[in-house]
Amino acid sequence: MKKIAIGGGQGFWGDSPDAAIHMIRKGDIQYMGCDYLAELTLSIMAKQQLKDPAKGYAPDFVTRILQEAGKEAWQKKIKICTNAGGMNIQGCVDAIKKFAAGQDMKGYKIGYVTGDDIKEKIPQLLKDGWTFPNFDYDGDFAQILDKIYNCNAYIGHEGVEELIGRGADVVVTGRAADSALFLAPLAYEFGWADDDWDNLAKGIMAGHLLECGGQGAGGNYMYDWRNVPRMDELGFPIAEFTEDTFEITKAPDCGGIICEQSCKEQFLYEVLDPANYVTPDVNVDISRATITQVGDNRVRIENIHGKKKPDTLKLCVGYHKGWKTVSMLSFAWPDAYEKAKYCADIIMKKMKRRGMHADDVHISFIGLNSLHLGVADMSEEVLKNLNECVMRIAVFSEDKSECMKIIPEISPMQLNGPPGASFFGGRAHVQEVMALWPTSIPRDAVDVRTHLIEI
Amino acid sequence: MSEIYLNDIAHGRSGDKGDTSNICVFARKPEYYKIIEREVTPEKLHEFFGDMVKGEITRYDLPSLGGFNFVMKHALGGGATMSLRLDSLGKSMGSAIMRLKIHVDEGEL
Repeated sequence: MKKIAIGGGQGFWGDSPDAAIHMIRKGDIQYMGCDYLAELTLSIMAKQQLKDPAKGYAPDFVTRILQEAGKEAWQKKIKICTNAGGMNIQGCVDAIKKFAAGQDMKGYKIGYVTGDDIKEKIPQLLKDGWTFPNFDYDGDFAQILDKIYNCNAYIGHEGVEELIGRGADVVVTGRAADSALFLAPLAYEFGWADDDWDNLAKGIMAGHLLECGGQGAGGNYMYDWRNVPRMDELGFPIAEFTEDTFEITKAPDCGGIICEQSCKEQFLYEVLDPANYVTPDVNVDISRATITQVGDNRVRIENIHGKKKPDTLKLCVGYHKGWKTVSMLSFAWPDAYEKAKYCADIIMKKMKRRGMHADDVHISFIGLNSLHLGVADMSEEVLKNLNECVMRIAVFSEDKSECMKIIPEISPMQLNGPPGASFFGGRAHVQEVMALWPTSIPRDAVDVRTHLIEI
Repeated sequence: MSEIYLNDIAHGRSGDKGDTSNICVFARKPEYYKIIEREVTPEKLHEFFGDMVKGEITRYDLPSLGGFNFVMKHALGGGATMSLRLDSLGKSMGSAIMRLKIHVDEGEL
C-alpha cells in the first residue's frame, strides 16, 4: 500500500535546524515542510526590505538547512515546501539558485508561488467597494492606509501542489497558510480533488500538527515535560499517510515524544472553534476527532471532517501603530517587591511631572506577576520570601518623543531610589510597535501564479 | 468536598490569534473530564481572570479528545504586536488557568 511521509522541519523563523537536518539524514520521509511565518513575521520582513532590498525573506532556510542537508535531501528525493520566501520570494529563490549551483546540483528544480502580496491592489479594491472590515475591533481602514507595511493574503495549497506535480525539488511561497505547505504534497500523492473536503481536512491537520516543529513532539509540553526523552536532541514530528490512515511519528534516533497527550496539546493549539477551523483550503471540523496510541512514538488520528472552503481569504495586514519603551530595574531581598514597587511609583510621579503623555502604561514585576498578572499569587507569604524582583515599566505612545521621556529617568534610580537597584537588560530604547488588521478579501482578488526553474 | 488546583487534574497549552487567546485543557485521566466540565465554566473564568481578559469567553467541549478549548477575546492586552505585557503572546495563559481552584467531592479523585 502506498505510504507517504512528510516531516515538519521548522516551527518559526529562528527555529533550530537540527531536527530538520536529522530528519533528512535518518528519517524515512519523502517530503518536508518548513514554516517560517508567524502573524507578524511578514511585517518585520517588509520593514527589513525597506532598509535593504536584498532582505525580506528567511535566509536561514538556505544558510542553515539547505547548505547543510539540501543536497542530501535532493539525492534522496526528499522534496521541501517552505514559506521562507516571505516578502521577497525572488530573493529567496536567488539564494537557493546560488546554493544549488555552488553544490553542483545540475537539474535541481526550484518552484515558487507568487501572488499573495496584494498591497498594490488595495486602491483598486477600495474603489470596488471592499471595506476591509476589522474582525477584532472597530476601525476605519482608510486611517491606516499610509502606515501599511505589508498586505498579504493567506493562500492555499493549489500552487504548491501543481509545482510538485511538475517535478519541483523545492517549492518556495510567501504567505501560503502554514498547513497548506503540508497538505499540498499529500493532495498530489493521493490525488485528492479540490473539493474532497474530508481528505483535505486530514491533510490540513497533519500540517497543523507539524507546522510548529518541536511543539508537536514534546516541546512546550505541559503534561509530563520532565520525562520527555533527550530534549537536547528533540526530534520534530512526521506525518505518515496511506489511503486509509493518518499517523504521527518521529525519526529514529532522536529525542522527544509522540503520544496521545503530546499530540492533543498541539492539536488544538491556536484553534478557535474546533468544528470550524477555517483555512484557505477547507473548513476543518475536529470536534469529533480521536487520537490513539498505536505504537512506540506513534499515534493515529481519526474522525476528522471537512466542509466547503470559504469564499474569502484571510488577509494579513501589518501597519505602523506607534512606539514603546520597556524599562527594567532589579531589586533583592529583603523587601524586594516593596522596593521595586516604590521605585515604579517614584518613576511614574516623575513622568507625570515631566508631562509624559502615554497612551498606555503597563507595570509588572518579573519574578512575581509579569506572566500571570492578575492571577499570580501575591500573598504576604510569597512577597515576604521573595529573593529578587525586577520592576518592569512598559510605555506605549503614538508619539515617539513621549516614549523617550522615561529613558533618562531609569538609571538614576540606582543612586536616587530605594536601596540596591541594579540595571537590568541594559539601557532602555524606543521600539516601533506594529499592529495587525485582521480582515479578509474576495478570493478572486488574488492572482496566484506558479513558476519553475531548473539549475 | 475539597479544593484543588485545576493543575492537579489537567494539562493544556495556550496560543494566540491577534488579541484572542485560546487555551486547551485536557483531563489527565478520563474520569476527570466530568469535573472540568462542571467546574471550569466561562462564567468562572471571567471572574478568575478579571481584567486580564476583557472580551467574551467561549468554551468548546471535545469529549472525544477528553478536553475543552477556551477561546478568550481581548485577552492579550492588544495582541502579540501591540501588547505591553512581557508575555505578549500569552504563552503562559496555559499555566495561568491551571491556578484556578476547583471543588471536588470525596471519591472523585
